[in-house]
Amino acid sequence: MAADATLIRFDKVWKTYGKGEAKVHALAGVSFSIARGEFVAIMGPSGSGKSTAMNIVGCLDTPTGGRYDFLGTDAGALDRGRRATLRNRHIGFVFQGYNLLARTTAAENVELPLIYRGVPASERRKLAMRALAEVGLEGREHHTPAELSGGQQQRVAIARAIVTRPTLLVADEPTGNLDTARSHEIMDLLTRLSEEFGLTIVMVTHEQDVAGYAHRIIGFLDGHVASDRLKAEAA
Amino acid sequence: MLLETVRLALRSVRRNVLRSFLTLLGIVIGVAAVIAMVTIGSGTTEKVKSDISRLGSNLLVVRAARPDRSGSTSFTPRKLDEKDMAGLVKGLATARAVSAEAQSTVRVVFGAQNVSASVSGTDTDYFIARDWDVALGRVFTESEVRGGTNVCVIGQTVRGLFFGAGDPDGQSIRVAKTSCRVIGVLESKGTSGFGQDQDNVVLMPLLSFQRRIAGDRDIDTIYVSATEGVPTSGVQEEIETILRETRRIAPGADDNFDVRDMTQIADAMASATATMTGMLGAVAGVSLLVGGIGIMNIMLVSVTERTREIGIRLAIGAHERHILIQFLVEATVLSLLGGLIGIAIGLALAGAASLALSIPFAPSLAVILLAVGFSALIGMVFGFFPALRGARLDPIVALRHE
Repeated sequence: MAADATLIRFDKVWKTYGKGEAKVHALAGVSFSIARGEFVAIMGPSGSGKSTAMNIVGCLDTPTGGRYDFLGTDAGALDRGRRATLRNRHIGFVFQGYNLLARTTAAENVELPLIYRGVPASERRKLAMRALAEVGLEGREHHTPAELSGGQQQRVAIARAIVTRPTLLVADEPTGNLDTARSHEIMDLLTRLSEEFGLTIVMVTHEQDVAGYAHRIIGFLDGHVASDRLKAEAA
Repeated sequence: MLLETVRLALRSVRRNVLRSFLTLLGIVIGVAAVIAMVTIGSGTTEKVKSDISRLGSNLLVVRAARPDRSGSTSFTPRKLDEKDMAGLVKGLATARAVSAEAQSTVRVVFGAQNVSASVSGTDTDYFIARDWDVALGRVFTESEVRGGTNVCVIGQTVRGLFFGAGDPDGQSIRVAKTSCRVIGVLESKGTSGFGQDQDNVVLMPLLSFQRRIAGDRDIDTIYVSATEGVPTSGVQEEIETILRETRRIAPGADDNFDVRDMTQIADAMASATATMTGMLGAVAGVSLLVGGIGIMNIMLVSVTERTREIGIRLAIGAHERHILIQFLVEATVLSLLGGLIGIAIGLALAGAASLALSIPFAPSLAVILLAVGFSALIGMVFGFFPALRGARLDPIVALRHE
């Protein structure tokens, strides 16, 4: 039961850059687990290793020591191609800078992961429209990023992340470029998606109130997990 | 998927119209040069071939000559005569035609008009040997040739000058000091490869020419037309054997005549122009290579510019091969586009040249397809390294790229 519910498991994960004197341990034997459906915020000052941890969680990077299990497989041991497949099938990404393709319409941006899955064009369009509706952007499918506000661009990015119905959503400072009102809208959206689809969300942020939307906050400091606390269940 | 990629590539080409065009320029110039060179070259080859075949098919041309290692004929050679002609007529029973010709450039007069024309004395086989028929009237009869009657067949230039579009049949023209009755008009042969008007001619029976114009019994040229399917090299040997006998050349001594196989000469000239064409084409091909390097350069720029895009694509699940194919297709589309434009320009150039040089316009489908294939190949080859560079990017680094 417990093994089934565990989506992410860091077991004494190390990530070391450089050699000899210049050696830097971005992660120094980090261990934690995240279960399916959890909404986790990772916090910590710059250089604490939170971004490195997030890249490994998102299968963009591999540990130099220890073991990272994703969906019960040793994801750290997979090659580039297998990790690409894993990302395409199970992981959606939302970035601070939205990272939409310029001069490409919202619908086309959302369709992108489906292209790499080999979904036929008509099916792609249908799924993209559904995802755009889910983030509240009906009618904006033909707009290019330049024609959308920051909040709307981030919604397109979220639609792109969830169009494949991933198991995990990795969000890197998703509200970093937005004002407070827009930030809360995006966080409300993420919360709703987490509840509606049972989507597991791992979010890196340094804003306390944004982290407050998560159920669990893992604090990083100098490559270690410094704190790991659940939000008060009572609330 | 591939269609999607081609669409994407076209969009990216359109986004940077000026840059794409400048990149294409190398390929455009290269392909245009190759196509123009090869098309003009094969037009020239055709022209040379048709010029020579216009002399007559399977033709061997015998002339008196003093064979000299250096090929010069400064010393006046012993002319051909009727004994040589008789020997060839008897010995070459299988030949299609054996014809003797004595020729001189003489003033020809009709009424108030006069022209300097090539006047030849010859026989009925001449028309067969040189594949030359009359357009109007008739050729000589055997008895006119034997008797040396004062009749003549005139070329189109002479006819046009003297009679316009009218029928000259039965009119008398003056050739040198003798008058001669026109019985026929030759078909037009046009200008020779050396710029000579081949229609500015008057033909008369050999005997008449020798008696009234040349004043001797010499023969300048003997034309032998080999029967279709008989190798001309064998006929050439036969001619040599017969003439050595009639001209009493001691064994071991050099020939004092010269036999030219026009088929061979045509082939030799055609292969010479073909070689020239090939060389020019190869030189033009080098500029294609330069064009390819231009494509590589711009693709490297494109990959660098779009590092972030590559990062996004990799993050959301694109495989290395997806990125590789995307940039390969883009490079190929780019160079293929250049190839197509180049083909159009090259054909236009060749068309203009064929008008200016009055050679046939001979576009070769094979060369065009080759150019298309080659430009696509250049795109793939020179696009591969930049594409691979893009595909191998670390998604984390690429995403951080500004």
